[in-house]
Amino acid sequence: MDLFPLWLSIRVSLVATALTLALGVPLAWALGRRRFAGRELLAALVVTPLVLPPTVLGYYLLVLIGAPGPLGRLLGRIGVELAFTWKAAVVAACVGSLPLLVRAAQAGFEGVDARLEQAARTLGRSEWSVFWSVTLPLAWRAVLAGAVLAFCRAFGDFGITLMVAGSIPGRTQTLPLAIYDHVQANQMTEANTLAALAVALVVALLLGLGRLGRLRY
Amino acid sequence: MLSVSLKKRLPGFALDVRWESSDAVCGLFGPSGAGKTLTLDCLAGLVRPDAGRIVIGDRVVFDSAAGIDLSPRRRRLGYVFQGYALFPHLTVADNIAYGLRDQPRATRRERTARVLDRLGLAGLATRRPHELSGGERQRVALGRALAIEPALLLLDEPFSALDLPLRRVLRDDLGRVLREWGTAAVLVTHDFTEAYRLADRIVVYDAGRVVQSAPRAELLWQPASEAVARIMGVRNLLTGVVAKATPDRIQLRWRGQILEAVNSPTRSYLPAPESPIAFFIRPEYVRLIRKDRRTADPAHHMNLMAGVVVGDEDFGTTWTLRIRLDHPGPPAQGDYDLEVEVPHLVYEILEIDRDRRWEFSIHRGSIHVLPA
Repeated sequence: MDLFPLWLSIRVSLVATALTLALGVPLAWALGRRRFAGRELLAALVVTPLVLPPTVLGYYLLVLIGAPGPLGRLLGRIGVELAFTWKAAVVAACVGSLPLLVRAAQAGFEGVDARLEQAARTLGRSEWSVFWSVTLPLAWRAVLAGAVLAFCRAFGDFGITLMVAGSIPGRTQTLPLAIYDHVQANQMTEANTLAALAVALVVALLLGLGRLGRLRY
Repeated sequence: MLSVSLKKRLPGFALDVRWESSDAVCGLFGPSGAGKTLTLDCLAGLVRPDAGRIVIGDRVVFDSAAGIDLSPRRRRLGYVFQGYALFPHLTVADNIAYGLRDQPRATRRERTARVLDRLGLAGLATRRPHELSGGERQRVALGRALAIEPALLLLDEPFSALDLPLRRVLRDDLGRVLREWGTAAVLVTHDFTEAYRLADRIVVYDAGRVVQSAPRAELLWQPASEAVARIMGVRNLLTGVVAKATPDRIQLRWRGQILEAVNSPTRSYLPAPESPIAFFIRPEYVRLIRKDRRTADPAHHMNLMAGVVVGDEDFGTTWTLRIRLDHPGPPAQGDYDLEVEVPHLVYEILEIDRDRRWEFSIHRGSIHVLPA
């Protein structure tokens, strides 16, 4: 039995979660803590992937990063090809995950008492230092919850991935796509195995995090 | 030396203050919403004033005209926030060491240990804020601010998070810490006793403005106006009519009496006869005339009057009596004219609970007239 789709899905979800964190945490902090022009617009843009049909998202993403697309051509010039590779699956997963992470993390940052950050400033710390020593340590639970949601969303993505990465067995076929293919081909044993593995992985993840979340300061 | 001049407009509120202090502890006193905390935030650099100038010692930290605005981290002020704002995820020791990150490790450790020791927190070094009592939290907040050896300490309602009995103990504790450390401080409070106990100079705030700035004793005995007296919660704040004013004395008519008061030699003023005049009489300065001595005589007893005790309240060490004078017409303060405070012992010896009719006298120096 071929477990490639499982390993691919884990790899894609992990990389996508890391990228989503790197992009989403600063975004959530800016939305939750700063007042700037265009903030409302940005907040609205961030949540659009939640409300648009995945195939619509995937379509626009393909237009953007496909070989003839504006970003695709730019990347092509430096020799990077995204569309229909596992990297495209990562981009697809990120797009779906970002709003979930941003919304959770933003709520977390907004819940940190601004007086604590002001205290840190009067005690000689820079904005960078205030963030790492006060804001993030006090909001990490929310950020972590957002990251779990982001990982699970990435792990389960179907529509966006199918549009931009295709479903090439052994190359871009992630676990949800493989299950679909197996069912189509009436290979129920394989579908069953992959589905059960997916459930086991997510349950193990949630149990492990539940334990982490109980840590008190 | 501290020199503050600030203008700041917020929705529905405008702060426009100017004061100076060369005293060790300066108290900002006034009702809540008067702009005291906003002033501290401007001093600390957390809020940028629209205009003004702030000089701390010989450092200009803000000057709108010269375009100077030091960031909070460059001002080096120790801010003790209302409710303390301790970092909940750090231990007591880490809270205190928080502002020392730029110091070498050895200095950091040595200074943290010294602060813990001097504030009696050594045994609590590894605790987290949620494991501390209110008083301990206050000391940690104080230690965290003092550890950076601040140019000025800012204290925002340092006792508001505490129970009443603890407040008095900690008020004296804080006074001792401030004296021992010798750090100049600005203290914000809406409690006059707190301001009086801890501050050398008191700046009175009302609705975004300074209504008086004076050494504490001067404020206590010579509030600049009826408004200041009202904010201070002065009792027996009354209104009469001027009969005659000279540079030494002011005679005023009140509830059918002619009262004679001293006109302040430093700020004497001469209101026209028949103009209204506010004055106050401290309840503990009204003298009851003993009946077992010679009979009262206006030549001997100044501002003599007679009345009935219509209510009394036991405050433990003192009793407060509410007196209605014999003069007809509505009493000056609801159902009574004067509050009089007598020691518990006097209340018992004179059997005031039984004997309700008394004569009183008030020395002319104990009637304080207030400029309009």
